[in-house]
This record gives sequence, C-alpha cells and structure tokens, in this order.
Amino acid sequence: MIQDIAPYIALIGIRKAYRIGGEMMPIFSGLDLTIPRGDFVAVMGPSGSGKSTLLNMLAGIDRPDAGTLSIGTSRLDQMGEAARSAWRAHNMGIVFQFYNLLPMLNAAENVELPLLLKPLSRKERRLRVERVLDLVGLSGWEKQYPAMMSGGQQQRIGIARAIVSDPGLLLCDEPTGDLDRKSADEVLDMLRFLNRELEKTIVMVTHDPQAALYARRTLHLDKGDFVEEKRAA
Amino acid sequence: MTFLDLARKNAWRMPLRTVLLMVSIAVAFLIYGLTASFINGAQGAAGASDDLLGVTSAGGRTQPLPMAAKSRIAADPGVAVVGYVKRLRGFVDVERNVVAISAADPDLLMTVNGKELGLTPALVGAIGQSHDKVLVGRALAEAQGWTVGQRVTVTAFDTPREDGGRDWRFEIAGIFEGESAATDSYFMIARYGYVNAARARAKDTVDAFVVRPRAGVSPGELAARIDTLFANSATPTRTQSEKQFLEAFLRQYADIELIVNLVVGAAFVTLLMIVVNIMVFAVRERTFEIGLLKTLGFSRLRILALILGETLFVFAVGGGIGLALAKLATVAAGPVLGLVFSAAVLAKAIAIITVLGLASGALPAFNAMRTPIIKAFRTR
Repeated sequence: MIQDIAPYIALIGIRKAYRIGGEMMPIFSGLDLTIPRGDFVAVMGPSGSGKSTLLNMLAGIDRPDAGTLSIGTSRLDQMGEAARSAWRAHNMGIVFQFYNLLPMLNAAENVELPLLLKPLSRKERRLRVERVLDLVGLSGWEKQYPAMMSGGQQQRIGIARAIVSDPGLLLCDEPTGDLDRKSADEVLDMLRFLNRELEKTIVMVTHDPQAALYARRTLHLDKGDFVEEKRAA
Repeated sequence: MTFLDLARKNAWRMPLRTVLLMVSIAVAFLIYGLTASFINGAQGAAGASDDLLGVTSAGGRTQPLPMAAKSRIAADPGVAVVGYVKRLRGFVDVERNVVAISAADPDLLMTVNGKELGLTPALVGAIGQSHDKVLVGRALAEAQGWTVGQRVTVTAFDTPREDGGRDWRFEIAGIFEGESAATDSYFMIARYGYVNAARARAKDTVDAFVVRPRAGVSPGELAARIDTLFANSATPTRTQSEKQFLEAFLRQYADIELIVNLVVGAAFVTLLMIVVNIMVFAVRERTFEIGLLKTLGFSRLRILALILGETLFVFAVGGGIGLALAKLATVAAGPVLGLVFSAAVLAKAIAIITVLGLASGALPAFNAMRTPIIKAFRTR
C-alpha cells in the first residue's frame, strides 16, 4: 500500500509537565512528531522517557500544556472532554498490555462495547462483531468469557474491540508485554496485517525490540525527545 | 447487547451483594406496600364517598340528634334524599370481639348509599321480613364465620334495652358485599325501628343523618348550608363528607397515616443510606473500568446514565418483588384487614422506586463521571 505524504498525526512544540511533590517535572519541552496516514510506528525508550504520556495524548485522554496536537482534521489540544470522548469513539482504537476486557461480558459483548456508541441496529452490531472476530481468528468464541481464554486470545479480543468501529488510528500500549513469544508474534502479525491490508495507522509503545521489528519505523524516545529513528528494511 | 444490558451485567457482577441489596429493598417495599394498602383501605375511608354527607352533632359523635331534624334537612332544595343511622357498638361472646351495628331504615339506606354498600332489593326485602333481622357485611361475616339464618347475640356497650339487659339478639337475613374491596363491610345493618323501640334511652334520636345531594349540587356548599340551618338550635350540627367523617373518626385515636408515613419514611432514608454506601464502594472498585469505558469513547453523561441505570435496575427488581409480595398479601388477607393495594398505591410506589434508584446512584455516578481517565488508570 501507499502511505500519504501529508502528516496524519502532527505534534508541534508539545510541552507537558507533571507536578510531583510540589515540583513541576517536565516530560516534553517542545516535542515534534509527524506520522503519515497508514504508517506503523513503534515507540521505544526507557521508563520515564514519556512513551505513555505520548500515547495518552494521542488517545486524547491527556492534553499538552502547550503546542499543537492534530490527528486528521481534529485539533485534540483545543477540544474539551466531551468532544475528545466523541472523537475517541469514532476515530481511535486502543490495545492495552493487560487486555482490559470486562470480566462480566463475553467475548462478543466485549467487542461490541464501542459499537454501543454508534447509531447501529442490533443486527448491524452483531454482523460487525462476527466479522472482526473472524478477522482475529476467534470465530466460535463469541460466548466465552475472558477468564476462560488464554492471554493471546484475550489480546486478540482486545484488538477486535479496538478495530470493530473501524477507526483510522490504532494505539497499542505494550500489546505483547504480557504474552509469550508465540502469542506475541501472532498478535504482531495481526497488527501488521491491519496496517498493510486494512491501512490502519498504528502507533505502538513497546519495550520489546522484536516487536518493534514489525513496525515500518521505530522511534527512540529519551528524556522527552526522539533521539533515534530506524526504518524497517 | 444494549446499554441497559451493560448496566444489568454490571449490577450482577457480585451476585451475593446484589441479591442481599435486592432483598433489603424488597422488604422495605413489602412493608411500604402493606402500610400504604392499610392506609388506603383503613376502615373503608378509601372507598368512602366524597359526595355523600354525614350530619352529626357539633358536640361530638356521642351526642345524638333529634329525628325531627330530618324534615328540616330534607327541606333544603339541594338535598335529594336523607337517611339516618344509629350506631351500636358491642361484642359477641368475648369483649375483645367488638362489632358495630348501624340501625337504619333499610329502604332509605338503599336509596342513599345502597350502591356503595352493595345492597340489593332482595337483601332489603330480606331484612324487612322481621324486626330482628340484620344484614351482615362480607368482611364481618367471614371474620366471625357467620352464615345466613344464623342467630347472633351482641352485647351492647352503651345502648341498654328497655328491659334492662344489654343483649341484642338478631337473625342474619343476608350478607352485603360492598361496592369494592375498599368498602368497609365490617359491620351489620339492623332495622332502626326495632332498635329505637327497644332501647331504654334517647329514643327518637339518631347518631347521624346521611344526605345525598341532588346532581350538580356542591357537597361542600350544601354541608355549610345544613350547619347554618342548625347553628342556633339546641343541637348544632357538623356536616362532612363520608370520607372526611371516616378520616376524622380515625384521627380521634391517632393520625395513623402520619405515623405510618414517618416510620416508612425513616425506613426508606435508612435504605437509601445503605444502598448509597454499597454503590459508592461497588463503583469505586470499578474505577479502572470506568476509565476504560471513557477511553473507548463513553462520555461523562453515558457513564452517569450507566451507573444510574444500574441502581435503578436493582431498585426496580427489589421493589418489584416487594410490591408483588405486598399485593399477594393483600389478596391473601382478603377484605378482613381492610388492605387495599390500589393503582394509586402502585403508582406512588413506582415513583418512590424511581426517586430512590436515582438518588442512591447519584453520588457514585457523579464520582465516576468526574474521575479523570489518567487517575482511573492509576487505580490498578
């Protein structure tokens, strides 16, 4: 597939600091980043480098203190909470390290959650859920509860939940951090498939160099700034 | 899955806790249903008419009115018909088995409030066959196990006979049903002529006149006119609707409704505190998941609605069970206890369920709504 040249995600002069013990601790002091549509970016770096803060800002659950943060045509830095909620519901899917499935819902119901926010009929929701469960290889597991599933299966449900509303952006927070190598590779293969075949833009935070190999490029973050960029061969 | 399903599944996450919560709510609404049914049906006040007027002495129910007043009342152009009644109170066999007898003219009674009492021409005909015949209300007959043709003796508390005795012997000529379950039928109807002739004192007096206004005449205005008519007489009157009369009668002993409302209100406030406390903890345990739902795009209002939906569900199930049990209890108890679980009682209970459900969910819902996602994610 062909990536757009124009940036899909643009961070310009992002500043962010947290108050810790009465003192302001800067995380970013003018961070710049552009990601074109259809890219698959891995973000690596030591603990405290700002990876999670970056991901939170891209997800619209945290706001920069200053700077411009735009995704597509939306200026997240200027949006209020209600607008960011609506933006998340329609434009973004997120995959967590520990899957974060709701234990009282079965696989199909967990996947269906984001669709409750869309004006779809029950039948349309069911068809979409069936389609994405098939996509992640879990057809027939609709009625299973998270407690009955392996970590790899739960993560695939997590991915299905992230893509069921067909968002353009997929954010992954250490998606293989809790998986064995085999399950991790399956999940990463799936993310690569979503990027290459379904043209999802993916930003993945990871500590795992093997996982980063699946991305088109890897950014190394340290002390709030990108220090290195590697492109896949 | 729907939004409501999600609220319902959240409620069932801790089944034991939810069941115990529902049981406590069910018990509270069972008590409410029974007490409200009692108030609603107490002594037939609920089924009493607002149109039918009772004229009693302004000096109190124990002060008799002369029979001569009947013609003066009947002379008012707003009056359709006037009946009269002398009440006897006494007991059957043992003193605590108290019964009441209304001595009246059966034909007039039939005209004035035969419909409310469920009187039929056959019943009136039956009581007219002999001076000591009586009609017995269904509730009283069932409570005493009486049947038609049976002879009963009532020992009067306050109406001695001319022969010095206090025992009044009657034969049951029929049983009247009352217009509805709310109608007081825990008394018997005797012939005034027999009681008046046989009693030792206060002959040719009555305890009350019962007045039915003509169609289109305001009962309130007619009541005022009647009282004005007797204002300067030896026996000033107090005229009230049958409903006001019965309610005032009950209040002579205590404001039962106020007491019951205070007790039930206190129970509901206690229940509210318990449910709020439990729900605050239940939602706090789920702070991380609230953050997750917000990350998926659930707005603050949806989070608010989700938790309010959960508490409403718990209250609806618990309250529904309590009210169903209350309804069953009122049906099982029959009219003897005067419990009437009416549509009004149900509507009020549903309103209370809704208010309590929303009130108990408000605090945890607001907490969850206001928790930032970042803070919610730190709770795991």
